[in-house]
Amino acid sequence: MSTNTNTLAPRELGKPMTRVDGRLKVTGAAKYAAEFNPPGVLHGVALKSTISNGHIISLDAAAAQAAPGVKLVLSHLNASELKTPKLDPMTGGGIMNEERMPLSDHKISYGGQYVAFVVADTLERARHAVSLIKIIYESAAPVLTTKQAAATANKPKKVKGEEVQLEKGDVEKALADETLIILERIYATPTETHNPMEPSATVAEWTAEGQLILHDATQYVKGVQDVLAQAFDLKKEQVRVISPFVGGAFGCKGAVWPHVILTAMAARKVGAPVKFAISRQDMFSSIGHRTPTTQTIALAATREGKLQGIRHHVETVTSHVGEFVEIAGARSSGAVYASPAITVEETVFTVNAGTPTFMRAPGEAPGLFALESIMDELAAELKLDPLELRVLNHSDEHPSKEKPWSTKHLKAAYTLGAEKFGWAKRTPEPRSMQRDDGMLVGWGMATATYPGYKMAADARIRLGADGKVVVQCAAHDLGTGAYTVLAQIGAEAIGVPVENVKFELGHSDLPYGPVAGGSNTTGTVGSAIYDAAEKLHESLAKLAAADAESPLHKIAVKKIGMTEPGKMSALEEKGKSDAFGDILRRAGKEFLESNGGFKPSLLSMVAPSVIFQSFGAHFCEVEIDPLVPQVRLTRVVSVMDCGRVMNAKTARSQILGGVVMGIGMALHEETIYDSATGLPVTRNLADYHVPVNADIVDIDVHFVGEPDFAFNPMGARGMGEIGTTGIAAAIANAVWHATGTRVRSLPITLDKLL
Amino acid sequence: MNPFTYSRAADAAQAVAELASKPHARLLGGGTNLIDLMKMGVEMPEQLIDINRLPLAAVEELPGGKGVRIGGLARNSDVAEHDLIKTRYPVLAEALLAGASPQLRNRATTGGNILQRTRCPYFYDPDFPACNKRVPGSGCGALEGYNRMHAILGQSAQCIATHPSDMCVALAALDAVVRVQGPNGEREIVFRDFHRLPGETPEHETNLAPDELITAVDLPAHSLGVRSHYLKVRDRASYAFALVSVAAVLEMDGGEIKTVRIALGGVAHKPWRTADAEEMLTGKTPGEAIFRAAADVAMAGAKGYRYNAFKIELVSRTIVRALTTLTAKK
Repeated sequence: MSTNTNTLAPRELGKPMTRVDGRLKVTGAAKYAAEFNPPGVLHGVALKSTISNGHIISLDAAAAQAAPGVKLVLSHLNASELKTPKLDPMTGGGIMNEERMPLSDHKISYGGQYVAFVVADTLERARHAVSLIKIIYESAAPVLTTKQAAATANKPKKVKGEEVQLEKGDVEKALADETLIILERIYATPTETHNPMEPSATVAEWTAEGQLILHDATQYVKGVQDVLAQAFDLKKEQVRVISPFVGGAFGCKGAVWPHVILTAMAARKVGAPVKFAISRQDMFSSIGHRTPTTQTIALAATREGKLQGIRHHVETVTSHVGEFVEIAGARSSGAVYASPAITVEETVFTVNAGTPTFMRAPGEAPGLFALESIMDELAAELKLDPLELRVLNHSDEHPSKEKPWSTKHLKAAYTLGAEKFGWAKRTPEPRSMQRDDGMLVGWGMATATYPGYKMAADARIRLGADGKVVVQCAAHDLGTGAYTVLAQIGAEAIGVPVENVKFELGHSDLPYGPVAGGSNTTGTVGSAIYDAAEKLHESLAKLAAADAESPLHKIAVKKIGMTEPGKMSALEEKGKSDAFGDILRRAGKEFLESNGGFKPSLLSMVAPSVIFQSFGAHFCEVEIDPLVPQVRLTRVVSVMDCGRVMNAKTARSQILGGVVMGIGMALHEETIYDSATGLPVTRNLADYHVPVNADIVDIDVHFVGEPDFAFNPMGARGMGEIGTTGIAAAIANAVWHATGTRVRSLPITLDKLL
Repeated sequence: MNPFTYSRAADAAQAVAELASKPHARLLGGGTNLIDLMKMGVEMPEQLIDINRLPLAAVEELPGGKGVRIGGLARNSDVAEHDLIKTRYPVLAEALLAGASPQLRNRATTGGNILQRTRCPYFYDPDFPACNKRVPGSGCGALEGYNRMHAILGQSAQCIATHPSDMCVALAALDAVVRVQGPNGEREIVFRDFHRLPGETPEHETNLAPDELITAVDLPAHSLGVRSHYLKVRDRASYAFALVSVAAVLEMDGGEIKTVRIALGGVAHKPWRTADAEEMLTGKTPGEAIFRAAADVAMAGAKGYRYNAFKIELVSRTIVRALTTLTAKK
């Protein structure tokens, strides 16, 4: 297509537009998965194992089966045999991190594993019946730590095409060089559990024709469709997945977890729709979590502060029923600072816990806690300003892939952040900014980073003669503002006011949309929309050129383009144009449809010639009473370089939310497993702390905003995850600056500062 | 949740009679703790006796300047915002507002707050097999388990759970008296004797008989010069139980401490009064050194575990901070 003429200054992009679905949400009209009630819907509740390592000797469901209202009790004794799906996420397939089919045998490999599923006419009756199931287990001591699991050590070379282990230059030589400053430290991050407001939920219904309809809280309707179709041996078209609104996900709704399959299995067995809204407690074992990390980092630097070597060893854990690798080293130490030598080694151990999964910035979030903490320690060691040290080691190309960046404006982010925060007034010594009232004040900063990922997507546009437009893609709005931003992109690309655009997403009948993960929705789906818009313009140009009544009659199609909103124009003859509506009306068409798509080549994904990567900087201030050292965050300034901002309002919210999650990571979140049973102990929102409003203060978000047109026609990279990266280190660095105590294990609770 | 029946009591006598006749019945006040426990399968009452319509929600002055009476059904938020409490017993208002969330405080009652159960996860979650409080003789999961929120004072080998209330810490410092009604009429229980230490029978948490109802809490009058403060230390800024808390009530006589009462929360199976520390401070000139010495006396005999040993030092520091703040008040 040659009429790539849509290079106008943005009209709709960048506007601080209020969410188009805001009213639906605040009035309760937006329907979430668990709110769909097909006639005759039954309610499912799962029984969770109370051991984490062993097997079921006997399961007696007679009392549960006989309890009032109970329609079905599923266990390994009567579960359907399903096919194990073959999944290829590189080509748009579904995702399962827990690979075992639910209830497929009597083995228990993690605490809280679903061992039975009761379906009853009411939720209360199902819950009561669950308590009547009697199970006898054979149980062994749980294996929970890397030490206990030492024999399972595994060093995966690559995961889905991505390098996990890195080796560049001679790190050992640098670390042995006596003329260099050498620093080695161990950092630890705990297991963290996603806690979106909406726990996962599935409503499954089988039609008389054998079609499976799922209302599912998911980040990937096409993925759920793929997994369920394969598991139940159906054609993809026989599985319909509907997910118009999702109440937060953060990664835990990206893969298909056992509850989805169980619900579909139960609905087929019982011959009625079944709803399974999993409990908050279920969330702590059955939908993944961020794996804990232990990270040993060594730096070698010249006395001037130039890095000569980075060695980053990471230990994480996975489960017996699925492998997940956090990639904390390569995505942090492999991607941020210039160094002639970088080694990353990552070892994964298998323990008796549920399978980990993506949690907002998997890899970067824990990895940058370690890297950005030790950079701060190095700055102190060298008596350099922490920001100065980072500028000194700025990487002008990707440090381990050794390829150029598409664009990088990190230095501008540093400068703007320092200015907004007032960083120049920082005094370097710890405890040097104590206030007159005795409160310790500390300032810290850290770098943020996250890649610009591309996936594949298709989009359909339907332009009406009345100027109204419907744009469709099986994309997802997790509460992020995708409905709004994608409508803005549609309006921009097509050349219509945004008020005229309706975006439809969250339905597997729509053109292919990828998982809403890796911060890719805006860039990927936006690119597909641009392609569909070009095709729409081409069709309009053809109609006009063929129409004797059109001012564009007989002009070559490639010399017609959309240079002004709402009309097609002759590119080489000023003043000749034809409005969209006029073209359609004269052609006797009520509407015109176009299909477009975006398909990055496999090569461009695994071995790109330029690297798309976002960067940013966080600056923060903490206040701590030296006697009773509760860490109180008092302000944050975050500046992000994510390309062009599509919507100033939702973009700010994305970073704001990311920072809040990073504050949780820094100060609050920790999933503890009981050493005797292997069960998660902190499995409710009273015991598992996320920040409350009182913990969150002034968060000042800014963007560099320079577009990245090499990445996509909008010039935008995603914003979903980068806000969470780096912030934990910025806070830890501020805590050190306030108190002189370096906390190297998260969360930073007050006992670590006594 | 177990099937149960529901009834509504018309008056206190009926509630008590019904309770006496049904050993597995429970009184329903705000329900903020009981309903949770029923959902978790910890409490399985055969009957809930709803006492919400009983006329026990008032906060009123006792005749003859004898103090203030808080009805057993007075909601936590109403007590915290009541003028009599805010002006005369601000430590109680502070403690109440440091607890739970506004929504919970709007429901939770005074009697229910006193009778709330520990939030020890091994008690609260029946998936954990060992809890002597839930299943006597089954062991204590917390002893070798995750015990960050657990006791350092007065615990036993059978139970190291803490009482989670903020309000009760203030009531202990205020020398409150609990009024209860049973089949044989009314009686009074001094607040410090209301809750029990776990000993060999952690399932017996209070000295309230199974067929008694809390009708009121009386706060004795004290002189106008009394100052007080509640300091709660927790893992996030709001909506978290106390790691430790200190309620301190103090009266100065010139430059000396005339009387001081200190109660600790988050450290024991009951709100913990520190008689030795109080005695040590009486008649002394306030200062950080004497506060620290008294705090160390209060912590004599404290024992920590894997995840909560830090509390011993934290309590001492929190006492010092609370007393420093209190004596600095104009």
